[in-house]
Amino acid sequence: MLELKHDLRLAKTRDEHARMNFVSGLRAYVLNDMATGMRASYDAEVEPAFRRKARRAPKDGPEVHQAIRSNEFFKFYSSLRVTAQDMVWQSVFPPLERQRESLKKKAKALATRRPGKLKLDAQLEVPRSVSALDVHLMPGNYDGEYESEDLAAGSLYDNGLAVFSFGLMGQNLDDIGESISRFIKARYPKFKPAEILDLGCTIGHNTGSWKDTYPSAHVRGIDVAAPCLRYAHARAQAQNRAVDFEQMNATALKYVDASFDVVFSSMFLHEVPRKDIAKVLAEAYRVLKPGGLMLHMELPPNAQLSPYDAFYLDWDSSYNNEPYYKPFRDLVPQRLCRQAGFKSTNYVQFVVPSIAWFGEQAVTRAVAAQGAVDSDKTGRLSDGLQWYCFGAWK
Amino acid sequence: MTSKDKQPMRRNIRGGRPYFFADPATDKVLNMVVTLASEVWALRERVMAMEAIGAKRGAFKAGEVDAYEFPPALEQRMAGERQEFIANLFRVLGEQAEPKKTATAKKPAKKKKR
Ligand SMILES: C[S@@+](CC[C@H](N)C(=O)[O-])C[C@H]1O[C@@H](n2cnc3c(N)ncnc32)[C@H](O)[C@@H]1O
Repeated sequence: MLELKHDLRLAKTRDEHARMNFVSGLRAYVLNDMATGMRASYDAEVEPAFRRKARRAPKDGPEVHQAIRSNEFFKFYSSLRVTAQDMVWQSVFPPLERQRESLKKKAKALATRRPGKLKLDAQLEVPRSVSALDVHLMPGNYDGEYESEDLAAGSLYDNGLAVFSFGLMGQNLDDIGESISRFIKARYPKFKPAEILDLGCTIGHNTGSWKDTYPSAHVRGIDVAAPCLRYAHARAQAQNRAVDFEQMNATALKYVDASFDVVFSSMFLHEVPRKDIAKVLAEAYRVLKPGGLMLHMELPPNAQLSPYDAFYLDWDSSYNNEPYYKPFRDLVPQRLCRQAGFKSTNYVQFVVPSIAWFGEQAVTRAVAAQGAVDSDKTGRLSDGLQWYCFGAWK
Repeated sequence: MTSKDKQPMRRNIRGGRPYFFADPATDKVLNMVVTLASEVWALRERVMAMEAIGAKRGAFKAGEVDAYEFPPALEQRMAGERQEFIANLFRVLGEQAEPKKTATAKKPAKKKKR
């Protein structure tokens, strides 16, 4: 399993370490080997049976889902994936519970170290889409607090993600931010953003890469979850990154119009209810300066995927406590941007190769040749992955 | 510096978890098997660590454990324990095979000695 590289990482006993290694390995097995097996079983049995009955191929993700539900391979894949997901968080609880006190002390000491700022808003009402749900089966979710000044939820997420990602999200879990910000810089060399905002930043793991890519920019991350932001702040200090974090709802930003050159988010919109997504994009438009770029890294939209790949990504929506995931992926990004006020001609979308997987050169190569979205590697945490993102220039 | 309001973190999933097999018991058993596998793996890592430490300290040479053969007496004892281990593993199936005991049964079923 991936070792966190910063000072807030938890100390683990030999056995705790081994259990984390096991869960990481189990997830790699389920998401690579078993996923391949399930696809083979689909091609050999499920799809032909569907064709015999319907005299056509399944037309979308839900039809594939319906057809595959009774398949034994699907059941084992799914049951094991849920088990592994649960074990990710369970593997972190024992060392975390033991070190909560020392973690808090470390964070306090780190807070004085660098110029990054933290601004919390005790009055902010956390939306029910966060406060009433354990997203991806994570007990307590992002906002769960168990004492005053708590940051345990951030540590659970950071250490859990290290187990969860089995190395596919980069050595500092910042592969998304790194790959995409480098891509933008290579693709638009004349674009020099001075103010950058990351929406739904959680523990700021992908916020910091924007600072690395554009060192002179002022980089800020916002989220509704206080314990994650406290942790994000300490984590950024531990990594010597001057990034500010503020507690805010992305549907009602407290910034004045035309404040930012880049409004970014990653893995965020799919956890937001539909009615709020429109508000978030409208807010992004409002706070962008003319000539600024809105960019959302996301799971690819269903309309751009084959029925099987759509089903495969929608799995999370049905079984991983991600109720907003499929509804979001059913939307058409071009239309979303237009409705938020962006000109259709200013729409952009990219498929960016993961630096962690393909190395830095791949990003420069990708600038020259854009790949298609419809690939079973896009947005899927498995070997050879690439990140999808869409947005628009204002 | 313990804060007065400190509580243990919640570890169960709000809303529960999904099941896939016709009987959720199958999912639960699978979960147990995987949890067990995780513990077996933890033991293996521990043994590997001990071997590596032992070799580093000169307690034995690298590869010595793999080459080791048990003396006959120890081999015999292990064979017995191994069978006990296996029987224990499948105990749950044995329970099913036994006739159901009712509360009024006069003679308690004889305990089988392994
Ligand atoms: C999946 S996480 C995003 C992770 C991170 N951006 C990344 O790159 O991996 C979603 C985050 O969005 C936050 N969130 C959800 N609704 C929000 C809202 N309306 N405004 C701001 N943050 C929100 C959650 O608290 C959570 O931290």
